[in-house]
Amino acid sequence: MGQEEIRGLLPVLELYLSNPLVIMMLEILLIFIKVVVVTLVVFSLPLPLTYMERKVAGHIQVRLGPMRVGPHGILQPLADMIKLFFKEDIIPSKADPWLFRIAPVISMVPVFAVFATIPFGDKITIPFINYEVSMYISDMNVGILYVLAIAGLSVYGIILGGWASNSKYALLGGLRSSAQMISYELALSFACIGVVMIVNSLSLVDIVKAQSGWHWNIFYQPVGFVIFFIAGLAEINRIPFDLPEDEGTLGAGYHSEYSSMRFAFFMLTEYVAMVSMSILAVLLFFGGWNGPSFLPGIIWFVIKVVLCIYFFMWTRFTFPRYRYDQLMSIGWKVLLPLSLLNILITGLIII
Amino acid sequence: MNELSTDNHKNSSSLSIKDLLKKVFFIDLIQGLFITFNYTFTKTITERYPDDEKWIPYKRFRGLHTLNRNKEGKELCVGCELCQKSCPTQCITVIPMEDKTGKGIADRIAYRWEINLLRCMFCGLCEDACPTEALKLGREYELASFSMQRQIRSKEELIKPQPIPVEFEGGVIVRATLEKGDKEIKVKPDLSVQKRWW
Amino acid sequence: MAEQIFFFIFAVLAVGSAIAVVSFKNPVYSVLSLMVCFLQMAALFVMLRSPFLAVVQVFVYVGAVLVLFLFVIMMLDIRKARMDQFITGGNFWAIGLLGILIIEMILIISKSRLTSITVSSELRLDGGVREIGEALFTKYILPFEIVSFILLVALMGAIVLGRKELR
Repeated sequence: MGQEEIRGLLPVLELYLSNPLVIMMLEILLIFIKVVVVTLVVFSLPLPLTYMERKVAGHIQVRLGPMRVGPHGILQPLADMIKLFFKEDIIPSKADPWLFRIAPVISMVPVFAVFATIPFGDKITIPFINYEVSMYISDMNVGILYVLAIAGLSVYGIILGGWASNSKYALLGGLRSSAQMISYELALSFACIGVVMIVNSLSLVDIVKAQSGWHWNIFYQPVGFVIFFIAGLAEINRIPFDLPEDEGTLGAGYHSEYSSMRFAFFMLTEYVAMVSMSILAVLLFFGGWNGPSFLPGIIWFVIKVVLCIYFFMWTRFTFPRYRYDQLMSIGWKVLLPLSLLNILITGLIII
Repeated sequence: MNELSTDNHKNSSSLSIKDLLKKVFFIDLIQGLFITFNYTFTKTITERYPDDEKWIPYKRFRGLHTLNRNKEGKELCVGCELCQKSCPTQCITVIPMEDKTGKGIADRIAYRWEINLLRCMFCGLCEDACPTEALKLGREYELASFSMQRQIRSKEELIKPQPIPVEFEGGVIVRATLEKGDKEIKVKPDLSVQKRWW
Repeated sequence: MAEQIFFFIFAVLAVGSAIAVVSFKNPVYSVLSLMVCFLQMAALFVMLRSPFLAVVQVFVYVGAVLVLFLFVIMMLDIRKARMDQFITGGNFWAIGLLGILIIEMILIISKSRLTSITVSSELRLDGGVREIGEALFTKYILPFEIVSFILLVALMGAIVLGRKELR
């Protein structure tokens, strides 16, 4: 087909696109494509992230990190994945087999469901057919609440996995995780409320749009950001708050008894949770896809998220782990009152 | 638990304003972050051993045994069996023989000289016992192999010239290449490119 | 039409999981079914054009309350808890009471005005947050305050019960 013929086809195409039924079908197809693309991208994200984490760890400890598989060890995550695939899937004989099997899936589903409302950029227009495509699956008007609520559900996988293993270390990991999640979810949500009060909307798209032109929320809500970040660290079980899988005292915590792909699912969950927490931090406090206009918005978004993830890894290899009672007292005695105070002061300033 | 809480209380009452500010602005934590950040960009100390680099030991190192020749190329070993007698683990086998062709420095050389590396503990007593300085413990330390047979090394192999010359000072990391054979895996050093990381 | 199909899916799942809650002998499974039940309720809230309530339902009940349930249940000795059946053979009068209750519920629902209320078909843009807030703090301020007071009393009661004896 020559270019002339394509040009000739365009009016026909436009005629088709004006038909409401065709538009509806197209939109459904578009949503389907978006879901598949987002799921695939998120599913493959842990591969580069494990590589990045090991490289960051290596260089912080004046080592090199993985170097042997591929140039600069770049194929290491693939090798790890293949290894995990071919390992034996062991189910302890006294475990609850049904819950043991389903727990990794329960923990995995919510972290993926979170991505339904996360906007990756503003609307873009496809050239030639002038069709507008939004860079999010759905702009839910209670977006941030949805993200927080669904992200909190992944704790079930951890608790049930810990309980179903029928091992005391795994059970202790699950118990710690449940207590920790509940305590820090409060502070996390309260830290978000400050942002919501400033922006006056619960929709993530609106929150980002309100931050255009360097009006980033971190300048207006520094305390809220610090609380959000600390509580976020605790929510995604990373050092200094990785008590549920504290290898010093609990073996490996809730996934002590897991092997093979089920273990990989837990790992996947952890990394995807880290990504979604970084994305949330970027959306709420760092202006989402807003940035100087010499780069497209999506690139700015990715850069910010990667920096945020790097910061998570950086803290992991810098700080020691908190003791469990310290964790609880920080959550309830420091972060919660501070976040309430933050809301109060924000409210007073707005009025 | 009670003890702990009173402890905390005591600490908080004696907090000076400076300490409080330090705590509020996470000064200590930020300092720690900067330290690790600086380490990220310092040169790494990893020795990429089998792939790129190899450690060459000092001269005093006691590795795989070597049998030496003198300057004229004659075998120094006279088959005196002193090494066999001095060996605490009895891993050396020497069978001497008469030789008039002038292969060795005397009219007696070793017909067989074998060492069982599975039993050897590299104590170096054989080296001390050797009257002609024929036997020395060299600098070869990659002794793993795919078969047990390979662990018994004989004179034919040990008398060959060593990849690392005796005069080489050692104590450095040199560039190397990994070579996979069917009997064993060796890392071949390239002595011309050296580096000292300290 | 599609909406009705979805409604029946969610409703049947909700009722089924609610029955499962009381019929499972393992309490952990009961909590899991309760979670499913709450999630279906959240879906029903979405179908009633109130995404805010749905999310709050997930947030509070599934995200926090049930986790605490699990926290307590995991401490139990499951094998012992399995022995205690929920409905023993002798409690026929309880089943009779249940029947009367069901008939009563059906009567009340069929007579009430609830069935005649039609739900507006468009999704509200702010998720009904403003309406809920305004209703809570103006029209229903008294019940709201009473509920919060009762919750406070319950909280104090829990603390008093959970406190160690001081000697």
